[in-house]
Amino acid sequence: MSNKKYAIILDDTLCIDCKACTVACKCENHVPAGFYEYRNWVGEVENKKAVFPNISRKFRPSQCQQCDNPPCVHVCPTRASYQTEDGVVLVDYHKCILCKYCMTACPYDARYENTDIHAIDKCTFCYHRLAEGREPACVETCPPKVRKFVDLMDADGEGNKILQTTQTEVQKPEKGTNPKLFYIK
Amino acid sequence: MSSTEAAKSHSDMFNGNKNIPMPLIGLLIAISLMGLYGVFNIMTKGHAASLGTTKTVPWGLLISTYVFFVVSSTGLCLISSMGHVFKIEKYEVIGKRAIVLAILTILCGFGVIATEIGHPIRMAIYNVISPNLFSAIWWMGTLYGIYLMCIIAEFYFLMTHNHKGGYYAGLAGFIAGISAHSNLGAVFGFLEARPFWHGPYLPIYFILSALISGCALVIIIFNVAYKGEANMPAKAKEALLGIAKIFGLLLGIIIFFDIWKVLTSVYGAPPEKYQTVMAMISGPLSVNFWFFEILLGMLIPFCIILATKGRSIKAALVASCSAVVGIFFMRYDLVVAGQLFPMREATAGSRVQGVVEGLAVYTPSASEITIVAGAIVLCAGLYLAAERFLNLTED
Repeated sequence: MSNKKYAIILDDTLCIDCKACTVACKCENHVPAGFYEYRNWVGEVENKKAVFPNISRKFRPSQCQQCDNPPCVHVCPTRASYQTEDGVVLVDYHKCILCKYCMTACPYDARYENTDIHAIDKCTFCYHRLAEGREPACVETCPPKVRKFVDLMDADGEGNKILQTTQTEVQKPEKGTNPKLFYIK
Repeated sequence: MSSTEAAKSHSDMFNGNKNIPMPLIGLLIAISLMGLYGVFNIMTKGHAASLGTTKTVPWGLLISTYVFFVVSSTGLCLISSMGHVFKIEKYEVIGKRAIVLAILTILCGFGVIATEIGHPIRMAIYNVISPNLFSAIWWMGTLYGIYLMCIIAEFYFLMTHNHKGGYYAGLAGFIAGISAHSNLGAVFGFLEARPFWHGPYLPIYFILSALISGCALVIIIFNVAYKGEANMPAKAKEALLGIAKIFGLLLGIIIFFDIWKVLTSVYGAPPEKYQTVMAMISGPLSVNFWFFEILLGMLIPFCIILATKGRSIKAALVASCSAVVGIFFMRYDLVVAGQLFPMREATAGSRVQGVVEGLAVYTPSASEITIVAGAIVLCAGLYLAAERFLNLTED
């Protein structure tokens, strides 16, 4: 049993839509250049009620929600998608048969077919960097520091302090996936 | 089995139906080679460049055709089991033909899905050495493998007049078929992310629609084998008239199922289900839904059987052809519609692929269409070859 459980807390009111996180991710993880091959994204949150001049813009950066109860892991026929002891969902590319069941099971559209490695790919929380004590590339590169990479097992850590003192939300909580990407309200 | 029976069985096994013209078999197999265009494209350019599927709609025509084939196979197996498993004597005559087509349809289904799966060989390996027992696809694939073995054994026993063997293999095939096919429904039904698919409806619906496909195909192949009703032996006629009535009853039940599926998806506009069903009722899938699925697949065959009270084999043949075409589109609608509502809102920067006015767009590519058309024509050609070279007539 690991003594770590990684999560990201995002304050998307700080996001300036510079997309540095998406570029950092592509470079760090050798994600192919294709427009629809990506591990993270920054989507605009449309305010349909806004009428000029009373307008504002909001952006929501996102990626794989690293669900605690991940449907992609449940459905994968060959156990290519799996969850590490510290709660990160990864893909063993050598076992992926490209049936794309995980893509249909993911409620967040967080997976894509990587045409370089011919397997399904997604955000790994930059798992290779964690062993070196480094944060994921998207967290490290963000100019306004939208993302905070935290360990939920650290009772006195920053992550638990924010979650205990601030209202946060997760995406599609009704799906029962228990995401580990928390958005400050 | 006595030695005389064994000798007899082997002597008449290859006493096929010489009325089936060889040039027709050759022509169908030649036409089926068009599928190689799609296979060649996939092998040289890769799946992403050859298929019309997208990040938003990862499953397309190849998956729905696989479903169509395996639905047909399961249906044929279930319908034929009425004779040599459940011992309803008048249906024993359909056994060999139904089972040989069940084998061919599932093989064609496997062929189609092998072109869709990115790593079919890796699948065969890791399915065994790294199984996920929580995955419906794993169960579906494994059970269909077992099912194929059972129906091949069943066919061998039927051909060699080994009734006891045929019974046990048939019973095993029946159980494996029901299990595999309901698991195929569960592949979709387990997905909490897709409200249109999620729930116990699909595993049940799949069994029902398999029975309908089975009835329709049995009626068609008997008409093909005997070149119409005129040359059909009395026993075959009696069986087909019984099947036609069952066919009508099942069509009535599926209409009932469909009505409630649509009503529960529209009433109160439940999120995602509503948008999906409206895409079928008045959106991009409306022609498929109303013309093919409802009219050809259900209403026309149901009305024909009702009007003739299931007493006309010719009318049942027309109803069956209409139903099979409709069922093909039913599978397509089921697979594609479930993915039309995107999992994320396609706002600026979200890079959600191929979404127009809130719904994902999917158009099958030429590669997908040629593979599917090739597989269907190949299946027909192989069936005629089996009819020509094997003795599929029950004594």
